[in-house]
Amino acid sequence: MLTLSRVSRRYGETVALSGVDFVVPENTYMSLLGASGSGKTTLLRLIAGFEEPDQGEISIDGDRIDGQPSHLRDIGFVFQNFALFPHLTVAENVAFGLRYRAHAPLTKEAEIKDRTEDMMALVGLSGFGHRAVSAISGGQRQRVALARTLVCEPRIVLLDEPLGALDANLRARMCDELKAIRERLGVSFLHVTGSETEALTMGDKVAVLADGRIMQSDAPDMLFNQPGNAEAARHLNAWNIFEAGLCRGDVSSGTIAVRFDQMDVSAEGAAPQGRPALGAKYLTGEFNGPTALSFFRADDGTLLQVIDHLSQPRLPDLVEGQRYDIHFAPQALRQFHGAA
Amino acid sequence: MSALSTDTHFATPHSPAELREKKDRRRAISLLTPGLLWMFFFMVLPMAMVIYVSFWTQTTFSVNSTLTTASWKHFLSSATYLSAIWTTLRIWLIVLISTVVVGYPVALFIGLFVRNKTLQTALLVACVIPFWTSFLIRVIAWRPMLGTEGAINVILMKLGIISEPLTFLLFSEFSVLVGMTQIYCVFMVGPITFMLGRIDISVIEAARDLGASFGTIFRRIILPLSLPGVIVGAIFVSVMVLGEFATAASLSGRKVNLLGNIIVSQVGSLKWAFAAVAGVVLTIIITAVIALALRLVDLRKEM
Repeated sequence: MLTLSRVSRRYGETVALSGVDFVVPENTYMSLLGASGSGKTTLLRLIAGFEEPDQGEISIDGDRIDGQPSHLRDIGFVFQNFALFPHLTVAENVAFGLRYRAHAPLTKEAEIKDRTEDMMALVGLSGFGHRAVSAISGGQRQRVALARTLVCEPRIVLLDEPLGALDANLRARMCDELKAIRERLGVSFLHVTGSETEALTMGDKVAVLADGRIMQSDAPDMLFNQPGNAEAARHLNAWNIFEAGLCRGDVSSGTIAVRFDQMDVSAEGAAPQGRPALGAKYLTGEFNGPTALSFFRADDGTLLQVIDHLSQPRLPDLVEGQRYDIHFAPQALRQFHGAA
Repeated sequence: MSALSTDTHFATPHSPAELREKKDRRRAISLLTPGLLWMFFFMVLPMAMVIYVSFWTQTTFSVNSTLTTASWKHFLSSATYLSAIWTTLRIWLIVLISTVVVGYPVALFIGLFVRNKTLQTALLVACVIPFWTSFLIRVIAWRPMLGTEGAINVILMKLGIISEPLTFLLFSEFSVLVGMTQIYCVFMVGPITFMLGRIDISVIEAARDLGASFGTIFRRIILPLSLPGVIVGAIFVSVMVLGEFATAASLSGRKVNLLGNIIVSQVGSLKWAFAAVAGVVLTIIITAVIALALRLVDLRKEM
């Protein structure tokens, strides 16, 4: 179990992390969702020991690891750009940790070869061992980076946007494979990403990092359906967040959120009774294949999005620039306390 | 109608793609021409002339174009000349090693530990500052440093470490080695720094994350990745040191005779054929050294 308590890190005037409290349980796929610049990579670098926190404690299973040199921490790190050793072959890359680690390196070549080959088979690289790392594809490099880390059997594996450098098809396949590989090895993965779909698909648990703090850490469906605060909701890219005062009808005050797919549109003044409603101008639509997204501008300038599924269309024909009523069921509303 | 149009199509001598290719080829040739002409007239032709002259007949004060191998026989059987070859090779090897020993750590510091590009450039420029003065001044400046009443001897005597001045410091092979190392070190630092600067820092972090200590990372990652820089630096240093004569002339007190010094003195006494023989021998040695260096590392891969 990896535990971070009150971890802070500043770069000059910029605060990257301020008092992060975070737990990655045993045998878990944990996704960490954050916008670019939210401090995700910094968090991983602190755990791996490439940098040290200004304040706070990092520990694994109770022993404190901050302050320890990174090569003795026994933590795996998969780099976004893979960071393969360019002068070594695929097999030499994978065997590097086993052969050259300072703590308990393997000396028997046969054992190194066996473990390297087993791991390459696990990630689907059998037969590529003799290739130069410059002579393989992006997806294969990703596998080398993963195999190189996993073969050392680290206590936890940190993945820094591991799918960012891959194209869309490959990304979907690697998602499944990463999950399967993790389940076979039983080690915890901490996967950092800026994509909410990736975070929700991959994670047994998903944490949202914003403003240098963990906003919420929950199971994916829980997080998606019941975000605990406006920040968490904003990162899911599925919630309209606006002031309750915009709505007609009996709505409480403060910041509220309603999911894109739980909002309906009707002609101005035609909103059904008993449903909170607000007036907004239709801006434009975006057709995404199975779904269509419509953008509205509320009276205070807030952008609202309504999602429509092609198989069950429920929106009327919309004319750009015209005003409509947007309404939703009272129970679809989520209210946040405190500042947004 | 269709037959006619096919005919005209075939009659067109060049397609646009062919014309473009032709134009590209012409541009490439016009870029190459000045360099090729220069190389031909001022290198290939003189080189051939030197080889030719080495077979001319040498008399005491003149040389004539009757072909003979006498100069070659004289050169290869003379202990003076053979020992000059040996001295040249020995000094080259020692200077090569000492420039690596002094230069590599400097390059390691600038290329790997300084990650700010501006500071890196500033430090590299600082390495070149001695070159703002002339070669001769740099060489002769070693005399007041190393001489019997020079700075080093005075300081060591003042400190009471020695009671008599060290005489091996100046006008010896030692002073030649010191002078050459100082002058040529920067040619080693430059290429190595360049290669080290190209190493992705995350590659080193990855090795650290896999459990390797700094020593292991240096041996297994940093050193192999910077080796092409060492080879390029070694080629620069070798070419310059093997052809050297000025450092030896002004710092050795005529005790060290390099092939370069032999050429200078032979030309001075109008022994053109002997000088040509020494020149050819020197060229062969330099070619062999470069060929060997290029065999060690495949530079094509690094470009």
